Amino acid sequence: MVQTHLDYDRSLLGKDLPAGSFDVTKESIGSYCASVGETNPLFTDEKAARVAGHRALLAPPMMCNVFIRGLNRPDVKLQDARMRMHGGQTVESLVPIYAGDKLSAVTRLKDVYAKTGRTGTMAFIVWETEFTNQLGQRVALGRESFMARLQDQAPTGA
Amino acid sequence: MTQTASWKSATLGDAIGPVERNVTTAAVITFCETWGQGRPGRFTSDEVARKEGLSGAIVPGIMSMALLSKLLTDWAPNVTVSKLDVIFRQPVPHNQPLKLHGLITDEREVEGRRELTADVFLDMASGNRLVTGQAVLLLAKG
Repeated sequence: MVQTHLDYDRSLLGKDLPAGSFDVTKESIGSYCASVGETNPLFTDEKAARVAGHRALLAPPMMCNVFIRGLNRPDVKLQDARMRMHGGQTVESLVPIYAGDKLSAVTRLKDVYAKTGRTGTMAFIVWETEFTNQLGQRVALGRESFMARLQDQAPTGA
Repeated sequence: MTQTASWKSATLGDAIGPVERNVTTAAVITFCETWGQGRPGRFTSDEVARKEGLSGAIVPGIMSMALLSKLLTDWAPNVTVSKLDVIFRQPVPHNQPLKLHGLITDEREVEGRRELTADVFLDMASGNRLVTGQAVLLLAKG
């Protein structure tokens, strides 16, 4: 197997980077629900959420993704890479997220590696992000994988 | 519309969906605004997307995840989606009929709750597979 050398800012690897704080509001939950057609009362009706045992309006399971998307991260400075695409994503929900919560995010560059397939060599950039709420509870973990073309290829991913 | 599932009824081999969706450009713009993306980008502008080598504006990957999560919470309204792990195989276009569906592939009881594993898919209605994933679900007893 041929190893592809990737030139990037290795000082970022494994380093915890504070990535800001995010207010979860009824309005942001409402906007998220409206855009995906969400009608589950747990996410759209605070009273129904409280009746079901929740302390406030519940955020839909994947809503922390919009906070991940909004993170400001340093440039990995990957050389000779063209057109980054979203290759995959994982979200683990550990504790419910509610309207009124204030989340703090820490992100880290988990890995950068190359993989060669039938269509050529791709670089993969993997970031992990942890969210903690105002009570000190870890509420969610996210892992994103971005692909960068090192040669001309048809785009895949999102 | 699929039937809803409960702790008692959900079991190995159950199908989730299918549900047909058509993600409009207006819905994508609203979704992008939730993280503050106001300027035209590959998700909201055909022109920008084409400059990046795509055939047109695409649905954000995290919006596809939101739709797959909704597939699961519609199927079992009291479900907790504890994990969703997806691979974006191909861009998801706007304004095209899509099919979302899944299959329960494993089940076990954990601390009085039923934990299910499901494979989930987002396809073009014509059959081309765009997003694949695996979800871990918790269903409360009762």
